[in-house]
Amino acid sequence: MASDKGDGQKLNIFGHLARWFTLPRFFFATGLTFFLTGVLFPFYWMISSSFKSYAEIGSRRPVYFPGELRLDAYRELFDPSNPTFWNFGQNMLNSFKVAAPTAIIAVILSLLGAYAIARLRFRGKEALLNGVLLVYLFPAVLLMIPLFAMLTKIGGALGFGVQDNLLVLILTYLAQTLPVALFMLTNYFKSIPAEIEQAGLIDGCSRLGVIWRITIPLSIPALASVAMYTFMIAWNEFLYALVFLNSPEAFTVPIKINMIFNDPTPRPHVVMAASTITTIPVMVLFLALQRFLEEGLTAGSVKG
Amino acid sequence: MFGLPQEGVDRSFSRRWNSLRARESRLAWILTSPTALIVFGLVIFPAFFSGWMSFHDVSLRNLGNVFSAPFVGLENYRDVINNWAFRFHSWRSWGAAVTSVVYSVLSTGLTVLVGLVAALLLNRKFKGRGIARAVFLFPYIAPIVSVAFVWRWLLSPRTSGVLNDLLLRLGAIQDPLSYISTRGLALIIVIAFTAWRYFPFAMLMLLARLQAIDGTLYESAAVDGANGWQKFRYITIPELRYVLGAVFMLRLIWTFNKFDDIFLLTGGGYGTNVLPILTYQFTFESFDFGKGAATAMILLGILLVFLMFYLLVFVRRGES
Repeated sequence: MASDKGDGQKLNIFGHLARWFTLPRFFFATGLTFFLTGVLFPFYWMISSSFKSYAEIGSRRPVYFPGELRLDAYRELFDPSNPTFWNFGQNMLNSFKVAAPTAIIAVILSLLGAYAIARLRFRGKEALLNGVLLVYLFPAVLLMIPLFAMLTKIGGALGFGVQDNLLVLILTYLAQTLPVALFMLTNYFKSIPAEIEQAGLIDGCSRLGVIWRITIPLSIPALASVAMYTFMIAWNEFLYALVFLNSPEAFTVPIKINMIFNDPTPRPHVVMAASTITTIPVMVLFLALQRFLEEGLTAGSVKG
Repeated sequence: MFGLPQEGVDRSFSRRWNSLRARESRLAWILTSPTALIVFGLVIFPAFFSGWMSFHDVSLRNLGNVFSAPFVGLENYRDVINNWAFRFHSWRSWGAAVTSVVYSVLSTGLTVLVGLVAALLLNRKFKGRGIARAVFLFPYIAPIVSVAFVWRWLLSPRTSGVLNDLLLRLGAIQDPLSYISTRGLALIIVIAFTAWRYFPFAMLMLLARLQAIDGTLYESAAVDGANGWQKFRYITIPELRYVLGAVFMLRLIWTFNKFDDIFLLTGGGYGTNVLPILTYQFTFESFDFGKGAATAMILLGILLVFLMFYLLVFVRRGES
């Protein structure tokens, strides 16, 4: 299939025949259908189920199409007057409070670091870059234990609680995302010709002036994709939030969904509504910035 | 310089301090230090600290005062290795170490295979290819919690589970199965889920390489009368070999480290208890931080074996 690259090339008569009736075409169509169904069906199920009624959820056979677009599940999540109100808005706010600062700080810090690695000569540059990338091979569970112990100790000494502290989460997410942010931006800066900046330097700009006036405007797409990628990681993260958050008011969205899922009375439609609400922002952001993001993904970004 | 020692040293020092080069490297250190501080402070140092903890008896009691924790030597390691959840018992219960290796190798293999097929599909020109490509990435970027719970519901043991419903209608099974709480089936499900979720990563990397293959190779093969399969076998695969190896290795390491997927799908039960989950259980369920750290160190040890193997086999072969 991959070899079918001869479009517009000269082919003999058998080649033409082979191009029109063939197994490859059949396989291709089947394969594509298979993949699209396999990928999309779970998402269809998630979104459609969020509109189902409790009766539809509890029926003997699965209901493939909800009878009507009921908002019961969403009311449970967001409507304070509902008997089983989950206060999900608070959790979305928490997630946003963690993800947005992570994204902003990661962009600023990795911008500075990546500029230095791409443009300036200094000793230990390679060691720094390799050391930072090595982080990617460490298992999160290995770091979780000492981080918990360390932060408990530091927190005890400085008088802040480690549990339910969103700041602690931001810090750990930064540690997780900075390496790739740095890597992505370094590669990007290397692709901008240094001559443009040298012109600025000759005109009397300082280094920081050059970064501000020349480098940043030139790398808006790359910066946006780093922001998006770090935001996504922080928004989706599960393990550290599970370990560091204790009270439902402080939960980020993934932990709250986990809690709703483990509720003694199963309410899958509410879980699906919460999942839909959580997934849609990520999808929209992704589709909007898809082209830039893919470069990040292939750079090994979303460690997962 | 040697003539006037005092003044000379001073001047050369200040010249060096102010030289362009020195100013540049000072600026570089200022610019990189926040990143370096966060990354090394929160990753490299904790990694060593974890090693230290694995030789000490750290529990919730002395967590606030970790450094006074009593040294216990290899006690934690011995306990973990002799622990029921860790050890290989029989063909029916593997223990976390063997399960981890089996799970990560099989699921990574499947991930790369599915990713390769997807990449080959998308390597063809067709209408809507851009959209298809974006859609294929959905499983990879969606929050893990959402997709894991959708899967759990699709695989529900009741007749209202979609997979049960389909298989019952097709007559493939007589009674509904409980996929997630049956030994063996649970492991297969977890492997399938991992492949479903992570194939887009392999797909992107392979697609990038596929599109870089020189088209004239295929043309000259066609002139020589090669059929599609032969072109695939003798051109595409050799061209992809290096990327295949790299993707496999990267995914293997990440899958081996992965906690969320299995935790959310099965909670580590029914023969799917892997090392990261065992680490979590020791640490945050029985609050034995020392044993948790020891488990994590064993995990890291196996990881290093994988890495050495990769370096020896792929990188060396690539050089020669």
